[in-house]
Amino acid sequence: MNEPSVERPIVLLRKTAARIAPVRDTPVDEVLAGATDSFFAAESPLGTVYVAVGQEGVRYLDPADSEEEFARRYRRRFGRFVSPAQGDEVAGLAEKVAAALAGERVDVPLDLSRATPFQRRVLHVVKGIARGEVRPYVWVAREAGTPGASRAVGNVMANNPVPLLVPCHRVVRNDGSTGSYAFGSGEKVRLLRGEGVEPEEISGSPYVATPTTGIVCHATCRNARRIQPHNRRVFRSVRSAVEAGYRPCKVCRPVAAA
Amino acid sequence: METEASKLDGTAELDPLAVRLAEGDPQAPGSLVKRHYAELYRYAFSVLREERAAEDAVQDAFERAFSALGRYSEGRLRAMRLRPWMYRITLNVARNRLRQRREVPLEEISAVDSAGHDEQREGVMDALGALGKLPERQRVAVTLRYLQDLPYAEICSVTGWPEGTAKTLVRRGLMRLREIMAIEGTRGERR
Repeated sequence: MNEPSVERPIVLLRKTAARIAPVRDTPVDEVLAGATDSFFAAESPLGTVYVAVGQEGVRYLDPADSEEEFARRYRRRFGRFVSPAQGDEVAGLAEKVAAALAGERVDVPLDLSRATPFQRRVLHVVKGIARGEVRPYVWVAREAGTPGASRAVGNVMANNPVPLLVPCHRVVRNDGSTGSYAFGSGEKVRLLRGEGVEPEEISGSPYVATPTTGIVCHATCRNARRIQPHNRRVFRSVRSAVEAGYRPCKVCRPVAAA
Repeated sequence: METEASKLDGTAELDPLAVRLAEGDPQAPGSLVKRHYAELYRYAFSVLREERAAEDAVQDAFERAFSALGRYSEGRLRAMRLRPWMYRITLNVARNRLRQRREVPLEEISAVDSAGHDEQREGVMDALGALGKLPERQRVAVTLRYLQDLPYAEICSVTGWPEGTAKTLVRRGLMRLREIMAIEGTRGERR
């Protein structure tokens, strides 16, 4: 068969290939910004933690042993890759996170878009528990608009994507005992002590009342802290306090049904 | 163009970058972009013939790629042959974008784009114009083989064609290209 030579088109194509190049250097950061989520490291009471950023703010915080471990967990959970934050893309957010983890009162924007509405409500309630205070699961459930969902609240806490920023360590069992923590109950006790909460004092007697006002509070309510030692009346449940003639505090709103 | 990637042919060896992605190396996504951006850009440009459109297409391809890979299990990710897979996504993105653009006459687009009007550029555009006149499968085959310099094993991996089919398409495409060049007296060939 008399096949015409195809040398010329091949030469032309190879020449053409050599002449097509991107007009600028590979825009790696630009490509990654759209295709992956960025992350950075921060210091916290749990040691070094890694923080991944979504559209609206912090999406995930994890005290993983290494960046690799963090990246794997993030991918398993969110199905996305992380790459190191570039330049000042997240500088403002990183500053806020560092301040919040150091114990300052800063509002850190969170990206909870992957959470269910119930999870979001619960996380929002827990975010509002002040440093130095603790609240029981039953209280979180009621505040989130689902009284009786204590166990479901426990599940949300166990899977909290942003521990410390949503201080799930400040949620304790209904009898005042510390309960479990994703990073170990010992860590939970240590974190609470660092915030000025003595877990032993609350355990078994999570409510405190005073005859001077006739009001019963959570033991760590800022109003309860002002009760003189000789006026302190401790209770295991709000109900027993109510039966003794006390009314629930309107600031910390203890749950009488418990 | 000799890159690390061009040595990754159809052997059973693992792609070290796929392993790094699976193991959570946070530098790995950036390495994937660096390793393939230029060649994928060249492919997208050959189809779309416009810088901005080619950049957008490659960006889109990487976003799709990471979004899909992100959901793969570690085992599956580790075994990925990333280069042909990236090509397959880029082929689809470029083809779809070309179709969407068909409403806008191509002359208009290249006119907007031809700011840097030099002879070399004209040569490139003429060659790509000739390529664009080939039937779809021949164009893909010839482009992958001679513009992208992929070995046949990878062309098959990208397109899913048997090797014989790929070779036939390349040969017919080249012959057709030769005819087109003969008719048009392609500028790139004149000197």
